[in-house]
Amino acid sequence: MQSGVREETASAEQAVPVKQTKTRKDEKSSGGYWKTQWKQVKRYKRLLWFILPAALFTLVFSYFPMLGVLFSFKGPEFDLTKADVLYNLTHGSWTFQNYLDIFVDDSFYRAIANTLIINVFRLLICFPLSIVIAIQLSELKSQKLAKAILIIISIPNFLSWAIVVGTWSGLLDPDVGVLGRFTGHIMAEDSWFKPLVVFLSAWKGAGWGCILFYSAIASIDKTYYESATLDGANRLQKTWYLTLPSIMPTIALMLVLNISGMMAVGFEQVYTMMQVKSDLVDSQIILDTYLYEISVVNRTNIPFATGLGVFNGLIALALMLIGNAITTKTMKRGLW
Amino acid sequence: MKSLKQLFKKNPNKIHESRVDVGLNILNIVLLSAMVIVVLFPLLNYFSLAFNDGNFNIDVVLFPVHPSFEAFDYVLAGEISKHFWRSFGNSVIITAAVTIMSNLVEAMAAYPLSKRDCPFRGTIMMYFIITMLFSAGIIPIYLVMHTFGLLNNIWSIILVSVSNVTHLLYFKTFFEGIPTDIEEAARLDGASDIALFFRIVVPMSLPIIGSCCFFSIVGTWNSYGTAMLFISGSAAGQDAQPLSYYIYLLLQRSALNKDNPWLVMNQRNVEAAAMVMSIIPILLLYPYVVRYIRSGLAIGSVKG
Repeated sequence: MQSGVREETASAEQAVPVKQTKTRKDEKSSGGYWKTQWKQVKRYKRLLWFILPAALFTLVFSYFPMLGVLFSFKGPEFDLTKADVLYNLTHGSWTFQNYLDIFVDDSFYRAIANTLIINVFRLLICFPLSIVIAIQLSELKSQKLAKAILIIISIPNFLSWAIVVGTWSGLLDPDVGVLGRFTGHIMAEDSWFKPLVVFLSAWKGAGWGCILFYSAIASIDKTYYESATLDGANRLQKTWYLTLPSIMPTIALMLVLNISGMMAVGFEQVYTMMQVKSDLVDSQIILDTYLYEISVVNRTNIPFATGLGVFNGLIALALMLIGNAITTKTMKRGLW
Repeated sequence: MKSLKQLFKKNPNKIHESRVDVGLNILNIVLLSAMVIVVLFPLLNYFSLAFNDGNFNIDVVLFPVHPSFEAFDYVLAGEISKHFWRSFGNSVIITAAVTIMSNLVEAMAAYPLSKRDCPFRGTIMMYFIITMLFSAGIIPIYLVMHTFGLLNNIWSIILVSVSNVTHLLYFKTFFEGIPTDIEEAARLDGASDIALFFRIVVPMSLPIIGSCCFFSIVGTWNSYGTAMLFISGSAAGQDAQPLSYYIYLLLQRSALNKDNPWLVMNQRNVEAAAMVMSIIPILLLYPYVVRYIRSGLAIGSVKG
């Protein structure tokens, strides 16, 4: 709140010389921040109504649920079937035990470890893959062909995870699948689970992900390449010393965005892939699927599950704030 | 000997390509072709099952070997047709409602916020951005929907998807780039704020509105995580499941009737047929993707 107000003052001051010389005078004579703001509110009277619908939706479906954080401090007798927010807040005991339970929960640590492993490998494999494809495409002589390939390899991005997992489990079916006959039922094998999660992420997302890099490469001045060629640089050298440094800002920004969004991806994919084997294996759970299992499927200890959700949210928040700090520091622009 | 040398002599008009470069070129083409095959092969293989007789699934590589439309018949007019069409309809309603409501609401909110001298601009932006940063998890939102009595109702998915801060930021950035002179002129002509927004700002912002609507459509049509939260996979939620969720349930096998001997042989074919049906709306949008890629990919690109 405090920083918001400060930012507001700054932006109002910035705007002053451009538009409203009058306001500055007023501000000087009366000196009131609120007075200036109030003047603007009057001026913007009708326009401010435009914000109302979005603000209401945010209030009801984002801020109102945040009150639910309180449920994570409730005792285990919490009654989901009652599910009346007021009833649950006024009845039952308050405790900090749920958070203590989280820290001694084996599944929680396994879920964190799996989430980290999957996401780090996704970042190490899928992300560079997009860049490599983009560079490869830009190196093609015919850019028409490059765009055609781009259009084809971005198809999987537009399929739902159910379709992607269905397609590959069909292909890897040990009885009738074209590949499964040679590989066996690797989709149901524990040791293959994580590699396949990363592989399917790459299969689905790499093509679409490279569009941004491809367009960044396309916007590099062509004369640089010509002079590099005259200087006797070969293609590898041009890629390494010219293309990569030129798209570095895009790479850095996308990397930060990917890291900050880590916690929000993967539920549909991992949960659907887990269903292929149709039983929950500990080595496959990630935070989101664990949360879903204990809260929606089992419904055993709702306050504990709420606490886990809050914890998940806090990790995501930390990643976002770190990402934002990095971009503001190095690129002079925030993530938002 | 001399003639052979002549043959390999560089063309003086053309910048010479070293042997490394030629090799790289070939490697590049080979790798890219491999990529295209890896993407297309599973899709062709699986989707041809939809047009194939289940007894001959083992022979299918790239094309249906024993063409049959029984799987489609089963999905569209057979035992599961009612459930299928119901979920198809749900998906259409959900996608249309989310796309229209979300983008309208966010574009409207972004318009005043794009003015530099909008009062409390920073505070209001902070109000929206906080929701992007932190969410309390799935239990609280589940309880909210329970309180509203919206569980097993498609409106739970719609309402929870309306708020979209990312699109708000896209709209705000775009509106900031619109020159103010046009709006000032219209205002002098006596246009009200609402008329100004819908008659001038919206028509000028069609590219960004188009992209945001496109992302809303694809995202909503394909997602079933939210549906898994609010809508039961069993009979209780049958009337409210979106299509992607229904296909996810089909993959669970248990959803299908095990007493039907035809179905045991044709399970994969039925799944594939349902999937082919579900990607038709996305295929209809694909020309937009093609144009988006061809047009130089302006939107969302960060200058390198």
